[in-house]
Order: sequence, then C-alpha cells, then structure tokens
Amino acid sequence: MSSLRSKSAQDISDLLDEYRIKHGPVVDSTRSLYEKKLKEAMAKGKPKESCDKTYYREEEEVTYEYSTPVRSEGAVNSGSYMRSRPEWREREFEHEQSYSSYSRPTPEYRGRDFVDEPSMYDKPSTYSNAYMTPTPMKSPEAPKAANSSRLIPLWVQFVFFLAVAAFLYLVFSSMESNDSFKAIE
Amino acid sequence: MSSTSQKHKDFVAEPMGEKPVGALAGIGDALGGRLEEKGFDKAYVVLGQFLVLKKDEELFRDWLKDTCRANVKQQGDCYGCLKEWCDAFL
Repeated sequence: MSSLRSKSAQDISDLLDEYRIKHGPVVDSTRSLYEKKLKEAMAKGKPKESCDKTYYREEEEVTYEYSTPVRSEGAVNSGSYMRSRPEWREREFEHEQSYSSYSRPTPEYRGRDFVDEPSMYDKPSTYSNAYMTPTPMKSPEAPKAANSSRLIPLWVQFVFFLAVAAFLYLVFSSMESNDSFKAIE
Repeated sequence: MSSTSQKHKDFVAEPMGEKPVGALAGIGDALGGRLEEKGFDKAYVVLGQFLVLKKDEELFRDWLKDTCRANVKQQGDCYGCLKEWCDAFL
C-alpha cells in the first residue's frame, strides 16, 4: 500500500475515518504519522465498516421476508430470527434438522417452506410452538422492519394497548354489575 | 499529578514565549537535538503539533516516538506538560 503517499490529504482523512482512527487535520507534519497508522491498520485488516454494512443488509433482507402471507410467516419468522438474532436459535428450534433447512439462502426460503413443513415438523405442536414463540416478539401484522427505527418495539406497543383495552373493559363491566351496590344504598 | 518534575512546574507556570524545545518536560539534550533537526526548534512549534493532533494523547505520543524516538516516560512527561500548559493558558 505504498500508494498512500500519492493520495490526497482528503483521501487520507477518509481512510482514517474508515478505520475509525481518531485524527486531526492531515498536514505536512502529521501526514507521515497518519500514513504509518493506516499501514498498521491495513496490515491488521480491520474491515469494520464492511461488517456493519453486511449487518444492515441482513436487516433489509429480514424486512423483505415479512411481506409473505401469514401462513408461512411463522416459519419464515423463525428462520429470519435465527439469522439476525442467533440467541433465539436454541429456543425456537427443538429439532436441529429444521435449523439446517433454514440456513439456506433467502430466495429458496419461500419455495421450500410449503414443501418442507410437513416433513420438518413431525408434530403440529412443534410448529405451533415455533409459531407461538415469535408471537411475544411481535403480533402477526406488525412488520419487524419498524423495530430498528423505534425506541420501543412495535409489539410492546400493541401488547400495552391490548392490556389497557382489557383493563378498561374490566372496569366497565364491573361498573355494569354495580347495580347491586345501588340496591344496597 | 504529584510526581511532576521541577522542569514541568517551571514550564506550566508561565506563557512559553520563545522558550527552546529543551524547556519541555521530558525533552532533554538528545531528544531536543533530534526535534531541532526536524525543524521543531522552539517549544511553541511542538505546541503547534500538539494542537494539530487535537491534543490527543495517543496521537501525540506516537508522533513523539516517531520524530525523536522518545521512550514512554518521556512521551508522558512531554504530553502532561503541554496539556497542563494548554489548560492554563490556551
């Protein structure tokens, strides 16, 4: 990478930002120091930024998958959860064979869903179990895409709304049955 | 820091003016000579470099090591001296 010498000061500055190296202006007296730092960083091979991009691309892919019909959503959800949140893997998949089928690339997902479901899930309970587990994460109609841009996850908002609605209904229905109190008065 | 040298105390006590680079804490005759060869003949020139490196400790230490082959203690003394001077006068 001796081409660092020929780069402009702006290029050096951009490269330093890419490698997340804290730096000041690239002037004559600082240039050689920054070139040396860049050489070290390149030798270590820290492609941090490209890793971040990959992560975001995965999230984009996850978003896209949620436009499929509800029926396969449960199965698709489980798989995509597996990809973007590895810690859910162990909880959602009791059978390792179903795990391996979901490690296939995205385009094959939807085609295989309907084919593999009967064979992958021996008992309906397993499927419903896998379907139920994502439910606490979100309600069926809410896309996960919004999750990344919200402070409070969308599913939490829905659950909270339902809880408030249920509570209000309880209060209302108990008020209705307060006729007995009026009789006492 | 309670373990600062007399040189450090003298330097941070007043504006540096035209003091030579050897007046900086951590910079003795050998290091001073190397810095002067590179064009850093006055303390304020080293101050300029310190500021251009945004007063960052790691960057300044690396620069000192590269420029005059200062060891860790010398780097630390010089950095501390300039930092304190800036806190007081800049």
